[in-house]
Amino acid sequence: MTSLSRNRPAAGIVVFIFAALFVAPLVLAFLTSIKSPAEITRVLALPSGIYIENYRIAFERMGRSFLNSIAITGPAVVLSIAVGAIAAYPLAFMRGRGGRLTYFVLLTGMLVPFQIVQIPLFLMIRAIGLFDTIPGLWLVHTAYAVPFCTFFMRNFFASVPRSMYEAARIEGCSVSGYFWRILLPASVSGLSALAIIQSRAIWNDLLFAMTLTSSDSARPATVAIAGFASSLQVEYGPLMAATLISTLPVMLAYLLFQKAFVRGLLGGAGK
Amino acid sequence: MKKIIWLGAALGALASTITVGAQTVPEIWHYYAAGSEKAGIDALIAYTNKQNPDAQVAGRVIPGNAVELRRQLQTAFMGGQPPAIYQSSMASELKTFVDGGRLHPLTDVWKEIRGDQIFPEGVQRVVKINGVPYGVPYDLSLINNVFYNKATFEKLGITPPADWDSLKAACKTLRDAGIQPLANAGGPFWSLYNFYAPLVSTVGVDGYYKIASGELAFDSPEFRKALALYRDTMVSCYAQNWSGKTWTQAADDVVNGNSGMFMMGIWAAAYMKQAGFEPGKGFDVFPAPGTDGKAIFQMDVFAAPEGPAETVKVAGKFIEAAVSPEGQAAFAVPKGSLAPNIEVDPKIYDYAGAKFAQQLAAASKANAVLPNLFFLLPTKVGTELGTQIEKFAIDPSEANESDLIATLEALRQEALAENAYTKW
Amino acid sequence: MKQLVPRRSVLSSTTRAHIAFLILPVALFAVFYVYPILSTAYLSLHSWDGVAPTMRYVGLQNYFVLVRQPRFLHAVMNNMSWLAFMLLGPTGVGLLLAALLDRGLRAEKIYRMIFFLPFTIPAVAVAAIWRWVYEPTNGLLTATLQAVGLGGWAQNWLGDPALVTYALMGAVLWWTTGFAFLVFFAGLRNIPVEFIEAARIEGASPWQIFWKVSFPLLWPSTIIVLGMAAIDAMRLFDVIWATTNGGPAYASEVLATQMYDVAFGRFEMGKASAISVFLLIIAGVVIMPYIAAMSRRVAESEAE
Repeated sequence: MTSLSRNRPAAGIVVFIFAALFVAPLVLAFLTSIKSPAEITRVLALPSGIYIENYRIAFERMGRSFLNSIAITGPAVVLSIAVGAIAAYPLAFMRGRGGRLTYFVLLTGMLVPFQIVQIPLFLMIRAIGLFDTIPGLWLVHTAYAVPFCTFFMRNFFASVPRSMYEAARIEGCSVSGYFWRILLPASVSGLSALAIIQSRAIWNDLLFAMTLTSSDSARPATVAIAGFASSLQVEYGPLMAATLISTLPVMLAYLLFQKAFVRGLLGGAGK
Repeated sequence: MKKIIWLGAALGALASTITVGAQTVPEIWHYYAAGSEKAGIDALIAYTNKQNPDAQVAGRVIPGNAVELRRQLQTAFMGGQPPAIYQSSMASELKTFVDGGRLHPLTDVWKEIRGDQIFPEGVQRVVKINGVPYGVPYDLSLINNVFYNKATFEKLGITPPADWDSLKAACKTLRDAGIQPLANAGGPFWSLYNFYAPLVSTVGVDGYYKIASGELAFDSPEFRKALALYRDTMVSCYAQNWSGKTWTQAADDVVNGNSGMFMMGIWAAAYMKQAGFEPGKGFDVFPAPGTDGKAIFQMDVFAAPEGPAETVKVAGKFIEAAVSPEGQAAFAVPKGSLAPNIEVDPKIYDYAGAKFAQQLAAASKANAVLPNLFFLLPTKVGTELGTQIEKFAIDPSEANESDLIATLEALRQEALAENAYTKW
Repeated sequence: MKQLVPRRSVLSSTTRAHIAFLILPVALFAVFYVYPILSTAYLSLHSWDGVAPTMRYVGLQNYFVLVRQPRFLHAVMNNMSWLAFMLLGPTGVGLLLAALLDRGLRAEKIYRMIFFLPFTIPAVAVAAIWRWVYEPTNGLLTATLQAVGLGGWAQNWLGDPALVTYALMGAVLWWTTGFAFLVFFAGLRNIPVEFIEAARIEGASPWQIFWKVSFPLLWPSTIIVLGMAAIDAMRLFDVIWATTNGGPAYASEVLATQMYDVAFGRFEMGKASAISVFLLIIAGVVIMPYIAAMSRRVAESEAE
């Protein structure tokens, strides 16, 4: 790609400035995570040493909930993307009113503020016996991701040329065969991007977790993290330590999935 | 395909390791999620569980504040799965849940703990609805003290001001020395809590309760006078840009000598102490002008939802152990609050705590223990009052003043029409 | 293309296969969205404190009360400001950064991590971090301005009612640009390399290649980013609630935070439900036509 960057110095400077702006608050967060409570009263002062106690408290307080978060997020990401892709496929290729109408009805779901669904949701989840269980959260995260994942995949499928679909169908490829063998492999960048976005969204969910879990066996780490900011007091040191720890799995997912951001090759995926 | 099979296997493995959480131990819901608050509740539950081997309870943190806890409670009540006990605010909040038929009357527990003797009169009246106790006080904080940086005061030769004129003089001395006189923080509570001092100075204890019961109008000359006093004293002393700070940032300013004084609830003492700023050495306190001999307090109580007899019994035993002098000491000392139980030995407190306990005891004798007005008013009036006072404190213009008065008075009329006021 | 497949019954086998694909998603939607939305609409016609076992029917009163309330209208206006900001800010910066990085820069991988990292931070921590950045006397922003001799520009960032929403936008820009960046970057990488090669052989400059070749092909990504920006602007809640609670004095309130405060801070569930319904309607009126138009454009470009 280097041959494309003729005006690299200018681009480099712009990117560098933005990077500096993006990093500054992160540095602040990191420094705070290694400050003692007395040092935290002075925002910009450098810490005198590394106050490891914050990390100890963060680990202790998150404890098992960190594992719960992993057990919740992994499957929920896979399921939500799967359902989104399954819904997006016919909606991307169906002609006529029915498809478009279904698509828009599904999209309206994105407009619903999740705060309003909590009470009915609680009653439903309890009725089917999934209250305070990790599979209950898989179900809920999958269900509430339907509109967004459908929207996302529908648009990504649109970037796969339609001529491929028609050619494949003429060659006798079945509807589901095209989906599994051609469309999904050709959309790997989109699927990966969605996986990253969903990992982050589900990993950081607090609202559903608060409504649908009650015990340590199912509560995710976000509950523990939010707990560092109590109504009156905020334990800034452990809060920042816990935050930095909790970003690691999402960053890991990011690094893992972004490998799939490879240059698409026209028609290559089908052959 | 291989990947899908692999994923399926992984899902199955995960699902099989997950135990279905059964709620066996009765729970106490609270929002003491962090810091000394958490230390207090943990110590309290440890103590009661030791006292009641046959009535074990478990704490459950609802991160956030009273609003998040209410949301959680509402869901739980709808689903018929409320906790055994929860942390409730006093007065109006309690009344809402009593009116909704959600709470179990604590008459027996109250008798057992001799509630009428161990709590100050002002404390008792905000936990009884129509004479029946529905909440048991355990966590009390005074909100009418001003914290000050001792070194700054000594350097500038300022003595703790006892009246409004000397407060204004102290502010001037501080400002001339390049120090922000009075710290404050943004949010609907802090300016309102500060406002109580000028309010009580103007309308007295009776007037305070009359505002709480809706008898004294917001467009009355008395209320306007209180606003004017607040504007001319505290508002004129506030630190520059105070509204953009949190209360801990405002406390940091006192610790670091940027601000001279800070009127805040006594939890600020625990915060400053934790930051290495010792009570009696780094900082000291004085009652805000007009509140000497009085105690304005903010308080949390334990409330017990209606539920299975067994759970209600456990809740009762928990409360009995929790408000005993030992239980109160276990909670109040680490948390840095006061025990509402006046039989608790004041020796358990540190320098600052002892001073606050003394204030409470003296005020209790003088029958001048005043509950936080915010919770005496109907919930929507109290919340609006807090918001309007903050807006006024940011910009005490005539426009904002008349806006404040018009908004609140309209709301008072509305609440009166709905019969929402209570005579506490 | 239906005629390619012989029609057997009313529905072609293709259509039936398509419908089979849709069953599960539509079922999930029906169960988890339709019922809660209907129950909210039902609640909005009542006066209820959320605690009492009974509620009182009041018809459309909650709606009439709201439209006459300055507090409500202010929140609607704030949502509109957020809409404008979200469509331009994070989207523009995300596209810029993705386009620049797509050309290949030294340390590209590190930059990619830096731009994405803030997006992974939970809202409560974003609030804490930006509370320090915006501390008005010695926070990061004020101190930086003072250090470069622009101390006069320092403001009461989160405490000035006229300024607080803009200050929050800064925090949100930092927080959510990672999303736009990621989608655009994935979109750019999904563009068939032959197209770019062809343009390059014809002697187009990188600038021309981007605007003439890449950007039009980025259309699906653009729709995703703009659509989500619009929706996030309407649904915005966490950061505002965690940073300012909608304050000072309602200044930074948006509909979702106001709904939350009215419901649980003031025990007015009926009115809060009416706010939710308004939110749905406003979002529907403002956003859905746009998404419809965009999607039609995608469909047209596909047909080519």
